Amino acid sequence: MFIRKSAVLIYAVLILVPLLMVVLTSMKTLEQTFDNPLGIPVDGLIIDNFINIFQEQTMAGYFVNSSVVTLSSVSLTLFFAAMIAFGITRLNNWKGNVLFALFTVGMMVPPQVNMVPLYSLVLDLGLTNSLLGLILVNIASTLPVGVFILTGFMKTLPKELFEASTIDGAGNWRIFSKVVIPLSLPSLSATAIFLFVMHWNDLLFPLLFITDNAYKTLPLALLDFQGQYSTNYPMLFTGVLIASIPMVIMYIFLQRYFVAGMTSGTVKG
Amino acid sequence: MKKWLAGFMFLGMLFAAACADSSSQEEQDSDDSSSASEATELSFIHWRGEDKEVFEDIIAQFEEENPDIDIKMNIYPSEQYQSNAQQLLRDGSTGDVFTSFPGSQFEAMKEAGLFTDLTNEDFVGNFSEGPISVGQADGKQLAIPYQLVFNMPVYNKGMFEELGLDVPKSWSQYQEMVDTLIENDIVPVAFPGADIGPNQTMNSMMMNNAKDEEVFQKLESGEESLTNDWWTNTLEDFQYFNENGYFQENALGTNQDSAMQMVANEEAAMLATGSYHMAALKELNPDLKLGLLPPITVPENEVEYEGIHTATFMLAINKNSEKKEEAKQFINFLSQPEIASQYANGTGQHLTVKDVEYESEELQNTAHWITDKKTRFQPRYLITEAAVEDAVLGSIENVLGDASPEDAAAEAQQIVEENIE
Amino acid sequence: MKISKAIYLFFIPGLILYSIFFLFPTVSALYYSFTDWDGISADFNYVGFANYERAVTGDSIFMKSVGNNLEFMIFVAIFQTLAALIFAIILVKNTKVNYYLRALFFFPTILSSVSVAFIWAFVYDPNLGILNQLLNLLGIGFLTQNWLGNGDIAIYSLAFTQVWFHAGQMLIIFVAGLHAIPNDLYEAAKMEGASKWQLFRKITWPLLAPSATIVIAYTTIQSFQAFDLIFALTGGGPNYSTEIISTYIYTVAFRNYDFGYASGISVIFMCIIALITYIQFKVLRSNRVSY
Repeated sequence: MFIRKSAVLIYAVLILVPLLMVVLTSMKTLEQTFDNPLGIPVDGLIIDNFINIFQEQTMAGYFVNSSVVTLSSVSLTLFFAAMIAFGITRLNNWKGNVLFALFTVGMMVPPQVNMVPLYSLVLDLGLTNSLLGLILVNIASTLPVGVFILTGFMKTLPKELFEASTIDGAGNWRIFSKVVIPLSLPSLSATAIFLFVMHWNDLLFPLLFITDNAYKTLPLALLDFQGQYSTNYPMLFTGVLIASIPMVIMYIFLQRYFVAGMTSGTVKG
Repeated sequence: MKKWLAGFMFLGMLFAAACADSSSQEEQDSDDSSSASEATELSFIHWRGEDKEVFEDIIAQFEEENPDIDIKMNIYPSEQYQSNAQQLLRDGSTGDVFTSFPGSQFEAMKEAGLFTDLTNEDFVGNFSEGPISVGQADGKQLAIPYQLVFNMPVYNKGMFEELGLDVPKSWSQYQEMVDTLIENDIVPVAFPGADIGPNQTMNSMMMNNAKDEEVFQKLESGEESLTNDWWTNTLEDFQYFNENGYFQENALGTNQDSAMQMVANEEAAMLATGSYHMAALKELNPDLKLGLLPPITVPENEVEYEGIHTATFMLAINKNSEKKEEAKQFINFLSQPEIASQYANGTGQHLTVKDVEYESEELQNTAHWITDKKTRFQPRYLITEAAVEDAVLGSIENVLGDASPEDAAAEAQQIVEENIE
Repeated sequence: MKISKAIYLFFIPGLILYSIFFLFPTVSALYYSFTDWDGISADFNYVGFANYERAVTGDSIFMKSVGNNLEFMIFVAIFQTLAALIFAIILVKNTKVNYYLRALFFFPTILSSVSVAFIWAFVYDPNLGILNQLLNLLGIGFLTQNWLGNGDIAIYSLAFTQVWFHAGQMLIIFVAGLHAIPNDLYEAAKMEGASKWQLFRKITWPLLAPSATIVIAYTTIQSFQAFDLIFALTGGGPNYSTEIISTYIYTVAFRNYDFGYASGISVIFMCIIALITYIQFKVLRSNRVSY
């Protein structure tokens, strides 16, 4: 029992200490950090870093960009993936299986594999330095996992639902929007969270496609802070805190869905 | 839950629509502004985040003098600028006035035909002839370096005076100097091995080991090898510095800020970066008196070069730009002595512009390096292949991580050979 | 029952995007891998298998990055799976305390990898980093290390960060797996006087196998994708000791401007992942995947 408790305690410390340090350091000056990285300075904590970062950086702009990209990518991926999952479930034959395989093969291919041709494609289409370009690429890259989870879920829905409505003369679209979507809400929301975390935190695509400050998302802006402030940890951590706040707030209030969502991406619908 | 999701989807759609809308609107806006107010928007891109405020002030003055020109400045982190600038410049909409690093970036941009020939422009005469030769190719002035940087260690002059130390002129004097510092519990050289230490210090470390200024050109053509003396001796010097306490402990994991802090606190006597850090050091500790002191690793009679300089931040005009005349006006403005002086003093940099008045003690104290000393152009910038540069720097890291100079050189040479054919 | 052809309309919007931004670039990677394209010029040459030959026989950095990637993957797969499994067993009961602890351990998963990289850059910093300071404080200063600067251990420091980052997510998967095991099985075995170890060996482990398959498969993919973390923490250094395949592809393409060669490596990368996934499913085939 003692061993168990101390193991849990050590793990908890391991998680908490770095996180607390982020909060603490963001409220110190660089000199205070160098003098005593772990301690609380005698002359008290400051919030100047937060003020400075908002003055020096277009934080609000990065925030808006991240929100636009994330919300659009998540909702459109969900929408398209749900349609495809519905189609596959509805077909329920070898053609459906082939389509399922075609769409989910993308899960096996890491985005680093095709980043080179993807970059030149986006460049040729004139979609670099554009949020729209980022959104389109995002959708294509997470469509596979969306299709995977949602198809898994829709296959568990009773078949009679689909057939009964067909006999009623209801069209596919009506079955989809009036019956299947409402019934799939638990799975859709779990998937939404999974995608939300992925898109909000993504670095690779913005790194490849965005060079203009006006279109940068938060993770890319953070990476640039490293270039600008070098290892000025108080400033970097202030940025980290600001970039993480929406996610942390969502996590606190929607924790159950988070856990369900983040694991559904790996397990099943 | 249901409501939450519905709300979420709705928001998403709204945003998608708004975003598509706003981007198209933006295009319209810029069209409007150019046609209605007739102010030409000039794009100026560079990598000096530190100089943002000074540039903003200078741009404001320029716009006041030239109300019909509107300058839009975009600053990128230097790493990113190095890899992305070529792509940015391709269509001509970005970077009417742009900057280039000397060396591999200049070469690549020249190959891609991105430079406008500036040879016959009057403002070329405002710059010192020597340093701006870096921006020339095939008899044409393609770009004009603006800054003059000395890439060699900065030292604490006050501390040296207190300890009665002289600036060493030979390897044996250098060793004596280091011994005195170590006796006084002072780290001789703070070396930021985690970031820019290797790529800055390799220059002054090799300057008298490899006197041939074309050595990297020969390395890339296969005539020279890293396993020859000029480079193995340099690696041995690095190893000697690392093993005998010339560098601080954990040199390879130390980053710029930590190293600067060590010098500002007077825990260390020298900072192995370059003149561009003097202003920042003064900010950390205003009492410091600073000078430049490259490592002298050969006997006095073999010293050919006293230091390293880089003419960099090369101003250029995009060949694809449709606003070349306005762009020339801006470069001309930057080359005026008053403006250049403002820039030099605001950023703590030496410039290639003639008749600049340096105000700060550091700039004045080190200005003699421009005229009186025999410095050579930063050798690293003469490497044109990025993969070769990485291999050269990798061998330094390898030695600092306890590999033998011979092994490190051989390993790096293999990588070079794999990448040059 | 006849299905109306109209159902295929449901695939159209997704399929268009997926074809343009996923299938097409993936197939072009294959095409470019037979060329010497530099990514900028309009023209390039067909070079046959030269890029593949170069990767396999003439590129020591590529070989090094494959090795690093495997080391990283094995370390992460072993330690992440073990940590997740042990703590899942400890925290399996749905008590209030356990609930909060699981939430805490899960927390790092929601951070961006850039944030995690900055946090750990500070932890590992040899001069002011908290890790070395703590070791000194605890009187075990001889354990202090140059965590990211020492080429022999840097890849393991990165792997540890990866475990910190994602073990909580795997823990939750195991907890879900454990909850799915019927309690009666344990009751019955206990009646027969089975020891704790026997309970684990005979009931928990075999029934947890599907979750373990998922955890290991996912961990593997994640290890190959650790691009963000490594890119932001070490950029592949010192002296290529933390270069993994994905960071190397980025360097070759966007620093050396060798798009053709980078595409060649990408294709090899894809094959390596396919191979490892295949082996894993072969080995773990007895465990039915639960979807």
